[in-house]
Parts: sequence; C-alpha cells; structure tokens
Amino acid sequence: MEQSSSFETTIRHQFDRICQLVLKGEAANYFKHMDYRRKYEVLFSEMSEKEMGNLFTMDDYETEHHLFQVLGYDIEVRDTLIAEALKNLSEKKRTVILLSYFMEMSDADIAKKMNLVRSTIHEHRKRSLIMLKSILEDSTDEKKV
Amino acid sequence: MRKKCKKENLLPYHTIKAASNGNVEAINEVLRHYEGYIVSLSTRRFFDESGNLHYCVDETLRRRLETKLITKILDFKIA
Repeated sequence: MEQSSSFETTIRHQFDRICQLVLKGEAANYFKHMDYRRKYEVLFSEMSEKEMGNLFTMDDYETEHHLFQVLGYDIEVRDTLIAEALKNLSEKKRTVILLSYFMEMSDADIAKKMNLVRSTIHEHRKRSLIMLKSILEDSTDEKKV
Repeated sequence: MRKKCKKENLLPYHTIKAASNGNVEAINEVLRHYEGYIVSLSTRRFFDESGNLHYCVDETLRRRLETKLITKILDFKIA
C-alpha cells in the first residue's frame, strides 16, 4: 500500500506533537505531585516527639498480663519475664514481693496481713530479691545463647 | 526558515511506524530524539545553604518522563 508523502508528513508532525505534549504534561504532573507532597507530608525527622507519639497505639490485651491472686488482691504483672520468675518462687515469698512492690505496702502492713513478724517479712523480701535476680539473669543468659 | 528547521527535526516516518509497533531499536531512536527535551524538562533549580543557584537533572523525573514517553509511543496509532 503506497501512502502519499503528505500523509507521512502529517503523521510525523502528529507524532512529534503528541510526544512533546506527553513529556510536558508528565513533567507538570510530577511537579504538581511534589507540591502536594510538600503540602501534606512531613518528615519523621522533623516531627516533634509528641506528634510522633500520636501516630501509634499499642494494643493492650488483658490475656497477655499475668494475674496473681494474693490475700484477696488481684495483681497484674505486665512483664512476662518477671511473671515467669515470680512463678518460680515459693508462695510466701511471692506474696511478699507482690504486696511490697506491686501494692506498695510497707513491711509492717504485710506482716499484719500475713500474721507474721515484720523482720520475717524483711528477711523474705531480701532473699526473694536475690532469688529473683539469679532467675532473671539465668533467663536472659538463655535468651542470649 | 523556522519551518524548515522544524521539518528537519522530525523523526522519519518509518521510525515512527516501527516504534509504535514495538521495535526496540526504533523506540531507542525516538528516546534519543527527545533526550534533549527530556533533560531540559527535568532540570531543576536548587539553592544550597549559602544561597548559590545550582542546576541539576532530577533523575527520578527523567526516568518518569522516559517511561511515559515509551508507553505513549506504543499507544500511538497511525491513522
């Protein structure tokens, strides 16, 4: 099929025009997009700590907490590591630790509640802390290995 | 005078035809033909800290323009 040269010239002009328009239009789109981003997007590095804090929420599930029942109190322990360590203690020692550190009761108050002498409570607490320390150290060592 | 110059700047018909049919060589030739225009469109002005003016080719924009041009070449139908 023979096509006239004027037809070919027309096509060449059309093609050239289309290409130029496409490039110009795409560049315009790009700059529009950049303007949009400048207007609505903020760099993380330029945000204040408070703005960053508003960006996320942490899910809080009660099933993930460890519940200990001591002398009628329900005590929630959120840290799994500590909860596991507490479970390794004897009941009396656990009670003392929970009451003194999670309920913030004084040794004398705990002694009254448990019908024991204050110094016994103190002794329990001291030994429990040492035991807890070694348990926690063991478990973190295991994690490292 | 200007018209003549423009005419010489047009791509030959067979290249256009081959490019719109997906011939890689022809598409590359079209890209080469518009390379100058693409670069001039993607050249952006930058100011550094001391306020000096720099011209710099935005590579992202250059790539984007090339890609767009290729898709449009392939869309081109010779009526």
